[in-house]
Amino acid sequence: MRRREFLGSAAVGQALSLSAPLAAMPVGQAFSLSQTRAPLGADAFRSVGSKVRITGLKVFGVSLTPESDRPYVFVKLETDAGVIGWGEATLEGKAGAVMACVEDFREFLIGADPMLVEHHWQSMYVHSFYRAGPVMGSAISGIDQALWDIRGKLLGMPVYKLLGGPMEPRGVRGYYHARAGTPEQLRKLRETADSLGVTCFKSGIPGYYEWIEGHAKIRRAIRGLEILRTHLGPDIDIGVDFHAKTSPTVASLIIKEVEPLNLLFIEEPCPPENVKAMARIARRSTTPIATGERLIASYGCRELIEMGVADILQPDTAHVGGITALWKVGAMAEASGISMAPHACEGPIAGIATLHVDAAMPNFLVQEVCSGVQPEMKEKVWEEWLGFPAMRMVQGRFPLPEKPGLGFELSEDALKKYPFGGTRPMARVFHPDGSVAEW
Amino acid sequence: MIQDLRAWPLREPVSGRRYTVIRLTTDSGTRGYGECGTASAADRAEARRLVVGQSATAFEPVRQRLTRLPQLQAAVNIALLDISGQLARAPLYQVLGGPTRHKARVMTALAGDSDDALVASLRRARQAGYLAFLVPLPPRRTEDRGQAGASTRDTLASPRFSSQAFVLAVKRRLEALRAAGGDETDLVLDGAGRLTPGDAASLSQALERFHLLWFDEPCPLSNLAAVRKLAAENVTPLGFGREIHEAGLFQDLLREDAIDVLRPSLALNGVTQIRKMAAIAETYYVAVAPFHDGGPIGTAAALHLAASLPNFFIQQVPLPEAEEDRRMRAELCSNWAETARDGCAELPAGPGLGISVSEAALEKYQERAR
Repeated sequence: MRRREFLGSAAVGQALSLSAPLAAMPVGQAFSLSQTRAPLGADAFRSVGSKVRITGLKVFGVSLTPESDRPYVFVKLETDAGVIGWGEATLEGKAGAVMACVEDFREFLIGADPMLVEHHWQSMYVHSFYRAGPVMGSAISGIDQALWDIRGKLLGMPVYKLLGGPMEPRGVRGYYHARAGTPEQLRKLRETADSLGVTCFKSGIPGYYEWIEGHAKIRRAIRGLEILRTHLGPDIDIGVDFHAKTSPTVASLIIKEVEPLNLLFIEEPCPPENVKAMARIARRSTTPIATGERLIASYGCRELIEMGVADILQPDTAHVGGITALWKVGAMAEASGISMAPHACEGPIAGIATLHVDAAMPNFLVQEVCSGVQPEMKEKVWEEWLGFPAMRMVQGRFPLPEKPGLGFELSEDALKKYPFGGTRPMARVFHPDGSVAEW
Repeated sequence: MIQDLRAWPLREPVSGRRYTVIRLTTDSGTRGYGECGTASAADRAEARRLVVGQSATAFEPVRQRLTRLPQLQAAVNIALLDISGQLARAPLYQVLGGPTRHKARVMTALAGDSDDALVASLRRARQAGYLAFLVPLPPRRTEDRGQAGASTRDTLASPRFSSQAFVLAVKRRLEALRAAGGDETDLVLDGAGRLTPGDAASLSQALERFHLLWFDEPCPLSNLAAVRKLAAENVTPLGFGREIHEAGLFQDLLREDAIDVLRPSLALNGVTQIRKMAAIAETYYVAVAPFHDGGPIGTAAALHLAASLPNFFIQQVPLPEAEEDRRMRAELCSNWAETARDGCAELPAGPGLGISVSEAALEKYQERAR
């Protein structure tokens, strides 16, 4: 009798009483109340929340190859309404730590109402006391995305609609990595781009840099960018990622000299810890500066925005704190005339989660995917998992999912082919004298 | 415990380069050697009074006792670290938490009054294994502007330069050197703190695309607002600090975005003080390129320092041209040679500084009171 009451009240729960998909929800998999103790703080929302409860949290480490430095860390939340949510907490080089950190949040989630995504985000962030670095930021991101997935499914809407999108029904403009350097490769890339409708590429600068550099290396970097512009032509947008391997001193020299190339942006011209140092670069050049893939939460982006350092922000929905945090950073940036070009170099779930936020941001510029114009092995796996070519562009845009939530189905069985190969470090590179280099 | 401090003021016979070597002796008989620039007899006596009886391993409190005598603070610091390394039977860079690198990039100052002489100097230095060079400015005649701080090298006999002719003369000089050395030759322009901020700005702007490693001491540091403006208006990297012996002054320059490379002098700071300066600079992604124009003991200490820093870029060392000077330096350090290969110096091996200092040579080359 108690069980029947619970299920009945779930179907007519205040917050969800008008939700058609929820009313049609299969009830067979529901858990009984006795199995799930409500987490601390849940009582306060008893009369205003939904009756759905989170009943399970699972973390999957998924290595496409045993040597992968970025095993995907997927988070699965199960509910007593039968709806499940997927999120991605992949953190390159730190898979084990993030998986453990997701587990650390179990007590925050089991028995909780999945609809209160902001409440849970705040609790995970604030009640962790030390605030979030990349490990915790990624863990929160994975959980946050899964909560949004559940919420969208329960409300019968794709996440971008919950956020007020789409701004552009044709989808989200994106760019591939150029992965071409010689004039011939670049001319061919331009032809491919024209045939695919791709309008933007990103490239980098060769080698590793010390904090002071000589003429030969600086000239080589500048020459590479000149060749890029010459052979891609004036109609393609070009972003250039310095990947924080230059100091403000060296970056300033290069960036000022490539002003005539009118690049779309220079990304991470120096490491992210010292905002004022990056400001020094920005002040001495007209080339737009993009940064932010290593920043956590809106708090982490505040100083950059406040000091007028960045023209473009690039938070990563797998690290910044999920959909909740990415959207907030976007709102802060919008108010300061800053564009958004989110980073995405992990798996397909974080990629798709980003598209939902992109679709709803008035200041959205372009979406990254760490792939070339030709699909790679990882994208074939993604298609095998999700049943559609995730994160591949059509006419230069990522199509928006139409299904509720994040808009895909994923079975645990599909992941079993790619077992967790353990944590592997990201690239470790060194200067000729053996000292540590930044890549 | 430190039992004795003995100092030898030295002078190279041909170059006239002066430096002071000190020896600290502990009560257990361990000897540590250090080096600094010229120090007066009164300062040497004062330093002796301050350190005798102090711990021979706790170099930090000893450093604090000597802050008013920067030269001797530097020498004593190096000597105490030499002792620490010997007691630990480890090279100094290991005592300091290194090595962060297995060799250290070095550069040396070119000498000559004309472009041709400098090109010849560069060729000789390349032969000796150097790839990075400090280039002196051509003279800038300034007497009719009443500029203070003009060096005695700017004599009335110097050719008269308009401001544009001066900029062009500098470019000509640098281009001649690059042409002689090739694109892999790295150049630092030595302003020696002699230019006005305005002249420095004209040069700095004109050289943006030349890609100097940096413009060293482009103007005096006495006007921080002018230095800040210089650093803000173009992207030529700026180096400062040969005269600085307070970490806080570097911190000020970093805070003002006015410096791209720290140039603390080994002879004025010692190892520990420069390590602290480097730690501050690291958070600004700014490199350290210590200045050294003294003797071989200082050079050895500088290489240990280089191998302990993450943000070391290059060490300036003297390259004695005269045979007599080279002989004196070799005699001072019998088991270790000051050499460069492919632009880098090897780290000294062996405990402490890893060199054996000849006291016979110290006596032989001691500069007697005049």
